[in-house]
Amino acid sequence: MAADTYDGPILEIENLSISFFTRLREIPAVMDFSCTVMPGEAMGLVGESGCGKSTVALGVMQDLGVNGRIVSGSIKFKGRDLNEMTLDELRDIRGREIAMIYQEPMASLNPAMKIGKQLAEVPMIHEGVSKEEAMARALEVVTDVKLPDPKRMLDSFPHQLSGGQQQRIVIAMALMSKPSLLILDEPTTALDVTVEAAVVDLVKELGEKYGTSMLFISHNLGLVLETCDRLCVMYSGEAVETGSIKDVFDKMQHPYTQALFRSIPLPGADKNSRPLKAIPGNFPLPHERPPGCNFGPRCDYFEEGRCNKGEIPMVEVPHGDRHGTRCLKWEEIDWDAPLVVDQTHEKKEPGDVVLKMEDLKKYYEVNANALFGGGDAKVVKANETLSFEARESETLAIVGESGCGKSTFAKVLMGLETATEGKILLYNQDIQDTPIQKRQTDTVSSVQMVFQNPFDTLNPSMTVGRQIIRALEIFGEGANDAEREQKMLSLLDLVKLPRAFAERMPRQLSGGQKQRVGIARAFAGGAKIVVADEPVSALDVSVQAAVTDLLMEIQRENKTTLLFISHDLSIVRYLSDRVMVMYLGHVVELGTTDQVFAPPYHPYTEALLSAVPIADTSVEKQHIVLEGDIPSAMNPPPGCPFQTRCRWKSDVPGGLCEKEVPPVKKLSNGHQIKCHLADDILERMEPVIKIAAE
Amino acid sequence: MEQLTWTGTLGPVLNPLIMAAAAVFALGVVAQFLLSLVPSGNVRVGSMLAQNKGPADYAGMAVKYSFGVILLAIIAFMVGGILLPGPEAKGIIGAMSARLLPVWVGMIVIFAASIMYKRKLGLYGKLFDSPIGMVGFALVLFWVLTALFADMIVTHDPLSQIAAMKNKVPGTPMPADTEGYGWYLLGGDNLARDVFSRMIAGSTIVMQIAPLATLFAFMVGITLGLPAGYYGGALDTFLSFLANLILAFPVILLFYLLVTPEIVETGLPSYMAAVLFLFPIVFLVVLFNSRYYVQPAKQRLFVGGTILIGGYLYLSMISQPGTPLHFFPDGLDLFNIPGGILIVFVSVVFVNSPTVFRIVRGLALDIQTRDYVAAAQTRGEGPWYIMLWEILPNARGPLIVDFCLRIGYTTILLGTLGFFGLGLPPESPDWGSTINDGRKLLSIYPHPAIAPALALMSLVLGLNLLADGLREESLKD
Repeated sequence: MAADTYDGPILEIENLSISFFTRLREIPAVMDFSCTVMPGEAMGLVGESGCGKSTVALGVMQDLGVNGRIVSGSIKFKGRDLNEMTLDELRDIRGREIAMIYQEPMASLNPAMKIGKQLAEVPMIHEGVSKEEAMARALEVVTDVKLPDPKRMLDSFPHQLSGGQQQRIVIAMALMSKPSLLILDEPTTALDVTVEAAVVDLVKELGEKYGTSMLFISHNLGLVLETCDRLCVMYSGEAVETGSIKDVFDKMQHPYTQALFRSIPLPGADKNSRPLKAIPGNFPLPHERPPGCNFGPRCDYFEEGRCNKGEIPMVEVPHGDRHGTRCLKWEEIDWDAPLVVDQTHEKKEPGDVVLKMEDLKKYYEVNANALFGGGDAKVVKANETLSFEARESETLAIVGESGCGKSTFAKVLMGLETATEGKILLYNQDIQDTPIQKRQTDTVSSVQMVFQNPFDTLNPSMTVGRQIIRALEIFGEGANDAEREQKMLSLLDLVKLPRAFAERMPRQLSGGQKQRVGIARAFAGGAKIVVADEPVSALDVSVQAAVTDLLMEIQRENKTTLLFISHDLSIVRYLSDRVMVMYLGHVVELGTTDQVFAPPYHPYTEALLSAVPIADTSVEKQHIVLEGDIPSAMNPPPGCPFQTRCRWKSDVPGGLCEKEVPPVKKLSNGHQIKCHLADDILERMEPVIKIAAE
Repeated sequence: MEQLTWTGTLGPVLNPLIMAAAAVFALGVVAQFLLSLVPSGNVRVGSMLAQNKGPADYAGMAVKYSFGVILLAIIAFMVGGILLPGPEAKGIIGAMSARLLPVWVGMIVIFAASIMYKRKLGLYGKLFDSPIGMVGFALVLFWVLTALFADMIVTHDPLSQIAAMKNKVPGTPMPADTEGYGWYLLGGDNLARDVFSRMIAGSTIVMQIAPLATLFAFMVGITLGLPAGYYGGALDTFLSFLANLILAFPVILLFYLLVTPEIVETGLPSYMAAVLFLFPIVFLVVLFNSRYYVQPAKQRLFVGGTILIGGYLYLSMISQPGTPLHFFPDGLDLFNIPGGILIVFVSVVFVNSPTVFRIVRGLALDIQTRDYVAAAQTRGEGPWYIMLWEILPNARGPLIVDFCLRIGYTTILLGTLGFFGLGLPPESPDWGSTINDGRKLLSIYPHPAIAPALALMSLVLGLNLLADGLREESLKD
């Protein structure tokens, strides 16, 4: 075949513009986008949601749906223009030459078909090989993606596998016909951090082994740093900066890229001395883009009459490796100027203990047959002997992956569930056995929650003002409607939303604005303890900083205790005073932020730290990849919960890890670790994250 | 006075035009179908090229324009009917259009106002963005207005008989010595009553009973479905089992049982009605109480008001002379519902509420996992507030659509009941009964059955299209 001898660029996109057509108007999704992917190269596409990165991928696949249309430009794959191919030619290329991996693994697999059959279909359709040969190749690929027991995998249905395993199967399917180009659309967003790290590792390794070029779409700069050779930063439908990883990360030439890096918590950022700098304003809607530079209205270097006048072309930056920027003033801006910190804060000393947990346990009984009560009752141990205390105006971060019991803990604290054993003391008052309906109003109003998903946190059929007023009514704030109305408006001021928003419906607000309303509602009754369940993880990077800042500010003013649940260690490091690491219902490590982020570690904390991608080229990380998946809480391993994936297990004599749950080991200054490892081994641990000397 | 023609004086001009347009339309449809079997040359993916017009596109244009011509001609007949003097010149179509004048005026006013302010009217306003929804709404609105203005529209008393007009064809003039309108526009039925007037009068009955009965079915379905979905567990299992049991029971048999004299004597229908009519009051009281219990003044106003007004209506509704539940003195009793209509209500609720129950239960199961429900729980809201104010409003989309469809089913059910001689009295002009009456002589005199059948069909079609339009528009934002 001619294609096999081709040695030019795999993918060349030139001045691509894609629009979606609705009844009202044409909505340009991608404008004047160019990029080139060489053989064996991994290209990262980075940007916030709605910036058009997925549309580019769909454009490459020529799968834009009925409303989408390529308005101008060309997409050349191995020198052939995809725009001019017939459906038959495209069908030949898709899946065979270009494969795509989507975000949601379960949605990419046919639930009614065995894995082996789904995999074998690919070469059977594209290359017409026999079924036996296809199955043999499927077995080979499944072994390549490092799945345990490949034979059994081929004979199982998708629902029998875990999320991480499913994503590996999807990757295997994409690799079945040895494609030249692999498009990955946020392939790890739905996975846990440690599983994500393993999948990313796999993708990198396979890319090298098969020599596949990759187009890696992600919103996570750290992930792109780890996987790609080059990247392209997109903003509002345009590529604003492109170049090699080193050029863009260290010698950025566009204000948006700069602002993006300043708004993410990198090691060295601190909530008091060096706070994050949020990008002001909001992402423009596709049909309300400003004239000239799209980033203009939010840019610090904006110049009236120059930046908002006419189209801005992509210009080549000299001394770089194909480094380009879409900024008129890139030569004038002093890119090395240090960040001007607006204001620094005094570190607040934590006050008295407000919340204390003593050996809290929460077990669920799950009957095999719920209706008739037959079968063996299984016990799910969601929380095991949880003990800690939280002080006034302190931020306690609770870190852990899915299934670690952090949501159950929140439910018990809020009173949605009652504890099986143990005590919760709120201002020295037992509340563990009181369900929320029986709690005093002031108890309820002093413990409130901020939820994770901004699109779910507000009732879509009630105005914003009405929802806050309802919380005020329930908490007995204000004597009459007028007073409550005033209180509601002042709460909107508190979260820095315009008062006019009181009349708006939630769907008219952006994600960050909704999250602010959620915060206002939580503080309606003057909450003393706020449980924030991943409050920013679903928000875009540039908005995250602003919402985090707001939470910190309210906390400083009200002396609130913040229980910050998260799996994102970068943000935890940035804002928390103390950290609690949970795994399968157990607290495995507890200490101040500095203690937890420095050795000695619990082996799980160590792996977690290594798994979190950090968008900083000067950071050197120890490479630790955990094997396998998190065990199910229904069927936890005997002994230490982490023993199935622990890399230090062999250092504990006598197989103690498999026999006994380790005791809590008290180290210096209240730092505690639940591990069998001897003190001298813990002493020898090396820091996972090292910042190279500049 | 002479026999009316269908199209009056406009006929000789417009009839050939309609025939020609209809022929083109039919040919165009056939041609389009045949041409679609042959693949055209320029099917391409990257849709950058403007597509050339092929023969199939021309056939499509022919279909479109000929259909337009037919529509225009029909509108011309209607407008002509209003403008031309005298029924002879108007023709039957024109004369009916002239009688329906209040309906046309009402429709034009409502449509003009709605389209003008459609951006401010929420989901109802969005309906006017969808052609399907507009057609559906027009059909439904037509019958609603007809039902409202029925007294002005009818040409004769729907029950009066004029012996000479028995089974006469549409447009037959009245005998010379009778007063009033000079023609039976859609002919006379087997008992010499005016088919047109009975159809119009029937719409009033259908419009009164069908939406109300459906509303009751929804109240029952919602009040049971929400807790089943929200609490789950044994309550859910029990209620779902009950719903399945009712769905599995042959409903026609149930209807027959309900009207059996022995069963009526035991007072079973009255007791059932007593239970069913209690639901709306319980529903409203819980609705207001759960929201206003934190504001005692408003709580007293709303809950007290509902109990007083609703309770009085309820008591006078279930108190019925001649049944075991007769306790109100005549002076206090506001109204009595004839036994037949009670059966209609009971049976409609019985047939529809299990299905509504299932829809609501499913929606509640889905919506209760949302964070705003958790937020309400964590601020200590009661379960009924969460069900009625947090979950129910967000389930409204599918429920509104289902409500529209279900009014259609209820209308048909009403016809079915009438067809079996159940429910309404035999001389009632409602559509189901009239179709049943006309059935007997269908092969000789089809017109007494066709008119109500077309009416029923257009209403149900309208409701279906309206539901489609609502569904389509509620998904967009």
